[in-house]
Amino acid sequence: MPSHAGTPEADPVRTPAGDSAREPLIEVRDLTRVYRRPRTSLTRPGEDVHALKGVSLTVHRGERFGIVGESGSGKSTLLRLICALDRPTSGSVTFGGREVAGLPERSLRFLRRSLQIVFQDPMSSLDPRMRVRDLVAEPLVALGEPVGDRVDELLDAVGLPASAAGRYPHQFSGGQRQRIAIARALAPRPEVLVADEPVSALDVSVRGQILNLLADLADELGLTLVFVSHDLAVVRHLCETVAVVHDGLIVETGPVDDVWEAPGHPYTRTLLAAVPTLEGFL
Amino acid sequence: MLTVERLSVRAEDVELVREVSFGIGPGERVGLIGESGSGKSLTALALMGLLPDGVTASGTARLGGRDLVGVPERRLKDLRGRTVSMVFQEPMTALNPLMRVGAQVAEVMTLHGVAAGRARERAVELLGRVRLPTPERIARSYPHQLSGGQRQRVMLAIALANEPDLLICDEPTTALDVTVQRQMLELIAEVAPALLFITHDLAVVASLCERVLVMYGGRVVESGPLREVFKHPRHRYTEGLLAASRLPPRGTRLATIPGAVPAAGRFPGGCVFRDRCGHATEACETAPELTAPDPTAPDPTAPEPAAPEPAAPELTGDGHAFACWHPRG
Repeated sequence: MPSHAGTPEADPVRTPAGDSAREPLIEVRDLTRVYRRPRTSLTRPGEDVHALKGVSLTVHRGERFGIVGESGSGKSTLLRLICALDRPTSGSVTFGGREVAGLPERSLRFLRRSLQIVFQDPMSSLDPRMRVRDLVAEPLVALGEPVGDRVDELLDAVGLPASAAGRYPHQFSGGQRQRIAIARALAPRPEVLVADEPVSALDVSVRGQILNLLADLADELGLTLVFVSHDLAVVRHLCETVAVVHDGLIVETGPVDDVWEAPGHPYTRTLLAAVPTLEGFL
Repeated sequence: MLTVERLSVRAEDVELVREVSFGIGPGERVGLIGESGSGKSLTALALMGLLPDGVTASGTARLGGRDLVGVPERRLKDLRGRTVSMVFQEPMTALNPLMRVGAQVAEVMTLHGVAAGRARERAVELLGRVRLPTPERIARSYPHQLSGGQRQRVMLAIALANEPDLLICDEPTTALDVTVQRQMLELIAEVAPALLFITHDLAVVASLCERVLVMYGGRVVESGPLREVFKHPRHRYTEGLLAASRLPPRGTRLATIPGAVPAAGRFPGGCVFRDRCGHATEACETAPELTAPDPTAPDPTAPEPAAPEPAAPELTGDGHAFACWHPRG
């Protein structure tokens, strides 16, 4: 049975069954993040928004971990904190045992090398004025590493022709642009690939190509995958463990098949019931 | 009620939509599906008379005895928003950010001759009808003060303001969360007079529509009753879309359609799908017609289906048409 909890303190994060031997890679403990809204009055400060209200989770090495939630749930805030793109109000995020929460950028080089991100919309995450060759090589250049034949290797790994290197992002379709974003993320040989809604902007036929590619790469390269999506069905296909985020809390976490078969929290049930499926109607 | 015959859309010498024909009866909900770049939205824009400059439509589309295609703009202005109206995908760009929501709903009525005071009252009623809480307060709000789901409800209120005969929805729920999408779909099903619903999400169509049109390369490649088309797809493109929509459990490969949709004007001659189709042969160099074969006559080109389904009443084969030389058996 999946564990579920409605309060931050009753949130024991479970190790997926049979994976107790795997070592924890990312550990998030009691994470909170409070944003302040812009002030609307001269005399009073802006309202506080509690985006995360005490979240804990563990991602093990080699695991495929899905984070599911709707807009405003706090899943993007959680993701930004895991990637050290934002500082938490309280709590800790460790990566391979090293604290990353609140570190200055110069101390985060190890994380930038080990953890890479693929964003939802490759049109806005790829610089339109850079050629694919330079886009894919950029993370290596930023880390001061030799590029060599790495670009050709990476384009091949994501199923793009070598001739793609000389072209610009706008010359590619949405699915191909997402392949470019994946090649770029894989350039520094990261341990962890974080994907934020990487298939939500894609047509269903192309979605399959990208999900297959992510699954293959995770297998071949032994990647740890942190996959954020609003779609529990996609997470079920790709991931083994899932955390359902709602209103700044993890309301349910556990092996994805258990959560899918027997959702324990009312919100998870609502979410599952809302996902339209073909099978349900045929 | 709506009858579309040989509707084509072209930009200079590129044919974007080719000879699309279909009908929608009163109260009927029809889905129009296909990948981006298949010509779905252009078909809808042609029916609304909203094609961009330099893009022209030909053929006929009649709604309740009135022509929608090839009529001058001043005649269209009278029909658009009254006889036929449309909900777009992105409510943030479709709504005027500088105008209160209530005034935007009222505006479509005053444009069609309703007195200003009456239109203001009706606007609040309509906002309540699309289940917005506290419609009086929402009417005084600006679009940015509302959530995505609320904005899309406002769009629906605007579309319904003049009691149109036909509602066209172009991906109205794609940008919404799944729980909000669910509520929006239920609402559309309840209020739509007759519906043409455009989406690339087959599961959404399955939950809403009775009949479906599958478009690819600017043509309708398959059409028919939804359950029949989805249970027994004949065109290889429909088969591919359905397979790709299924998300099998972990560890199994997802079915995909090889390649990507070509750019407009780059589709192959003959069958538009043949360069991505595993069953294509020389025969496919000739364009197949969209035809509804007599279900009782055995198809000489296809092997007999192994085990005939027990004849369910909805699977009579009525109106199930496809354009494929090598249909799925």
